[in-house]
Amino acid sequence: MTRKEKMKSDALTLWLYLCGFLLLWEWLRPLKQLTDTNNVGVFIGFLVLSLVLSYFQVHILARSGIRLLYVIYTINFLYYVGPFFQFKWMGILTSDLVENMKLVFGGEWTALSDSFRSLLFYLLLVLMTYLLRYWLVHRKQIFIFFFMTLVYITVLDTFTPYDATYAIVRIIILGFALMGILTFYRIMDREKWQRQPGFVRKWLTPLVVMVCASVLIGYAAPKASPIWPDPVPYITSYSEKVDNNGPGGRSTVGYGTDDTKLGGPFNPDDTVVYETEVDARQYWKVETKDEYTGKGWVASVENGLRTPFTQEDTYPFTNYLDPEMEVTKRTGIIKPQVDYPHLIYPLGLTSVKDNSASTFEIEENLEKIYLVDNAASGMGEYVVEYDTPKFSVQAMKNTVDTSNPVLTEEFLAQYTQLPESLPQRVKDLAVEITKDQTNWYDKAKAVENYFDRTDFQYDQKNVATPGRTEDYVDQFLFDTQRGYCDNFSTSMVVLMRSLGIPARWVKGYTEGAFRGLSENDQRTYVITNNNAHSWVEVFFPEVGWVPFEPTKGYSNNAQFTYDDVSTETDKKDELEAPVAPKPEKPEAKEATTQPKKSEFTWKKLWEGTKDFFNKHWGWILGAFLSLVAIAYLLYETRIKWLPHYLVFRFRWRKKDEDFPDAYFALLNQLNRYGLKRKEAQTLRDYSEYIDEYFSSKEMGALTANYERFLYKGKLEEGSWEQTRELWENLIKKTTS
Amino acid sequence: MVQEKMNPTIEKILQNIERVMIGKRNVAELSLVALLAEGHVLLEDVPGVGKTMMVRALAKSVNANFRRIQFTPDLLPSDVTGVSIYNPREMEFQFRPGPIMGNIILADEINRTSPKTQSALLEGMEESSVTIDGVTHKLEKPFFVMATQNPIEYEGTYPLPEAQLDRFLLKMKMGYPEIEEEMEVLNRAQVLAPIEELEAVIDLAELRELQQAIKRVTVDDTIKRYIVDIANWTRTSTSVYLGASPRGSIALMKAAQAYAYMYGRDYVLPDDVKYLAPNVFAHRIILKSEAKFEGITAEDVVLRVLDRVPVPVQRLVK
Repeated sequence: MTRKEKMKSDALTLWLYLCGFLLLWEWLRPLKQLTDTNNVGVFIGFLVLSLVLSYFQVHILARSGIRLLYVIYTINFLYYVGPFFQFKWMGILTSDLVENMKLVFGGEWTALSDSFRSLLFYLLLVLMTYLLRYWLVHRKQIFIFFFMTLVYITVLDTFTPYDATYAIVRIIILGFALMGILTFYRIMDREKWQRQPGFVRKWLTPLVVMVCASVLIGYAAPKASPIWPDPVPYITSYSEKVDNNGPGGRSTVGYGTDDTKLGGPFNPDDTVVYETEVDARQYWKVETKDEYTGKGWVASVENGLRTPFTQEDTYPFTNYLDPEMEVTKRTGIIKPQVDYPHLIYPLGLTSVKDNSASTFEIEENLEKIYLVDNAASGMGEYVVEYDTPKFSVQAMKNTVDTSNPVLTEEFLAQYTQLPESLPQRVKDLAVEITKDQTNWYDKAKAVENYFDRTDFQYDQKNVATPGRTEDYVDQFLFDTQRGYCDNFSTSMVVLMRSLGIPARWVKGYTEGAFRGLSENDQRTYVITNNNAHSWVEVFFPEVGWVPFEPTKGYSNNAQFTYDDVSTETDKKDELEAPVAPKPEKPEAKEATTQPKKSEFTWKKLWEGTKDFFNKHWGWILGAFLSLVAIAYLLYETRIKWLPHYLVFRFRWRKKDEDFPDAYFALLNQLNRYGLKRKEAQTLRDYSEYIDEYFSSKEMGALTANYERFLYKGKLEEGSWEQTRELWENLIKKTTS
Repeated sequence: MVQEKMNPTIEKILQNIERVMIGKRNVAELSLVALLAEGHVLLEDVPGVGKTMMVRALAKSVNANFRRIQFTPDLLPSDVTGVSIYNPREMEFQFRPGPIMGNIILADEINRTSPKTQSALLEGMEESSVTIDGVTHKLEKPFFVMATQNPIEYEGTYPLPEAQLDRFLLKMKMGYPEIEEEMEVLNRAQVLAPIEELEAVIDLAELRELQQAIKRVTVDDTIKRYIVDIANWTRTSTSVYLGASPRGSIALMKAAQAYAYMYGRDYVLPDDVKYLAPNVFAHRIILKSEAKFEGITAEDVVLRVLDRVPVPVQRLVK
């Protein structure tokens, strides 16, 4: 009880309570944004009230009374019209309570009234303040709560729009501070210390330094980008699939031919459009578009030339330019579930076959395959044969400019087309992102990786449509940074084109949802409208069109080989799995810090330092670790080398005033040697012990000298000179 | 203890005493410390171990006027201080000084007499003067009392009050001699009592000089702090009802000065303090009854404290 009394009155406990309150507040902060809880302030007020009462250890009855009054008053204030002191509303409240209790026991949670919910919430807060007090004052342990808070906030940050960037920092500061102070209390309890004024300061100073340093370092240190793709799109899409048998959604997502006005939110639609049987997962192409208008995509040639294409023909557009390209021959079966006039086909298509000997037409400009007679009952099941390529990274890296004869002017004009209206800052950004890269492949990767930055968020709902004067890509890159595949893929194409690298926009579907193996061991997938997707193809003169996947949360199915790669930068590429999304390269991140480059020199210095650390962190870490190791070794072996150092050091200190230092160094060395002096042992007594141990007389003589200095306040002249030899002898004895 | 050269004068006195006292050098040393520090000594021991011999030898060595008071239950204060007697021939009262008017006084079995008589002696010890019939008589200097008392448990004793115990600088025990020493005592007892042959080593004036010299012995602040620490620890010890008083601290410092001087040093070491502390503090500490029941003595407490108080080994930082 006495200890509790002591805890009550001191300022440190006040800090404990304050930190505890702030930590608890972190739980309430997201409520306003994420739930339809209003008037969060009222609850925070309640929290403050509870903790203040608890801090001053108000008697339990008074505490409960005051809190009850507060609760009743706020409920009256929030939910009931009429003055508080007209007790008519109390009757309503009571009947309300009874009603709600019935609902609770009936399990009809959703029907609970707001006032009752608030009451429950108050109850929860009472519990929390009690727990907080229990943790802080009685258990003196807070780690579990701290950890729970962290988990809570990180989960919210990941799966909800709540932005916890600063909340995490706050929680870390609070948590460390709390744990530090509580450790202090625990040690005090265990060691039964008397509280002394200096103690708190002595403890708090390193604590504050530690917390500040760790937070600053943590805040400033480069952070690895997520190893896993953002799980949100996956989880949402997964949950949508699970909800398959729900009522049909509105068809706002799915495959459409009009891409002239991109942007805006869309609702999920899980209508099954295709079922496939393949032996590897891959994207399904429908068409490509080449002209960007600033608002969306159109074909540069409207109703372009259609080439007939029979089941015996080889698909004319799969012309890998690299003759040594490694390919895998594959076959896939596609079962359309919806009547579309077009076919879906995989990368590297060679031929299409079906049972009814249909013929097809290809619209060259779009690379889109139509069923010729779509007046009939529609396309049945068909088989595609295709060569899945393995793109040689080395071949792609060979391309550094447009000098290759394959790149005709016409071709370049078509696939590097950009609207006049495209803002300059988009082009600047493209240059900025790729400034450290020389070849086309690295540039494409840099741009692709740029979208892995945490600034970009995958979102299907809160997506803007560009205004009349706005550019779709510009808006996404600089203003919203929030969108779905169209935003990402279009942006990448535009960025590539502004670098003069031919690129085009591809529409189609992702592989869909895996549904198990078929009878002949093929993998079956179900493709719904939700799987409609768009991505990017970049043209490399030695290879051909190569797909890239800038969209967050999706991964590129195309395969790359790194066989011929020998330079170091390539190895770095190799480390990054060919399956995107990849951890973004620090350099890329570095290079793309907003186009508006600040002139502020501190920032430049900061960037420079960061850059340096990013580039040499391995060395720095190694150097640091070896320094630590060396320091540790030196510390452990100090008994061996320290005497020599001391002898050396004091050889140059000849003044008598140096004698006390030398004597004290000797005492310390003897102590390390294992000849410990008890605190209550006099020096003379100790010196006898030492002299007996070494069968010497040196310590006695030295001690007599030191005693004269210490207890008389006078050093005899030349005393150090006379005794130096004794001192050296003695200190050397401790090395053997 | 590192063998130190003693102050030659003091060495001579001690050797002189040793001519009659076999062994017991430490008792002689401590008595001399009290004499030099202008304090008094309480010897607690059984009869017949040589207390009187010790004091007489000391008195003879310093050529002091030796008096002995044998305290008995019927002794009156005037028997100690002296009395005015009417002289019919001269028609006036004449003061006849009591045994207290000497330099070195052996107050034998002080706890056998009534408190009234005890206090007459103790007043003299404290004030260096006695008042008889309204006339204050200054006592001679040096004035040194060595009181002996039988261990308190004996019957028919009047234990000295704690406040009065505080007046004694040191309390010590004589103890029995070693076997060889006792045999030597017997040998000597066969011939003439050697005490009669003892000659003075110094005179009173020299003794007073010595007493002045002792006051000049340096006591560093670190040592003062050490003394105060020890006193403080005795006050907070769990088995102590009343710890050492500030007067006790002063006593310890003075005794340490004398002891340091005796060993030819003009500065005090913690070793001096440590050595003297049990003798200086033990009789000033009142133990709790629980501690007494457990058989803990005041000496034990002081020794335990000495075992824990850190010795200063660095200069105080101010």
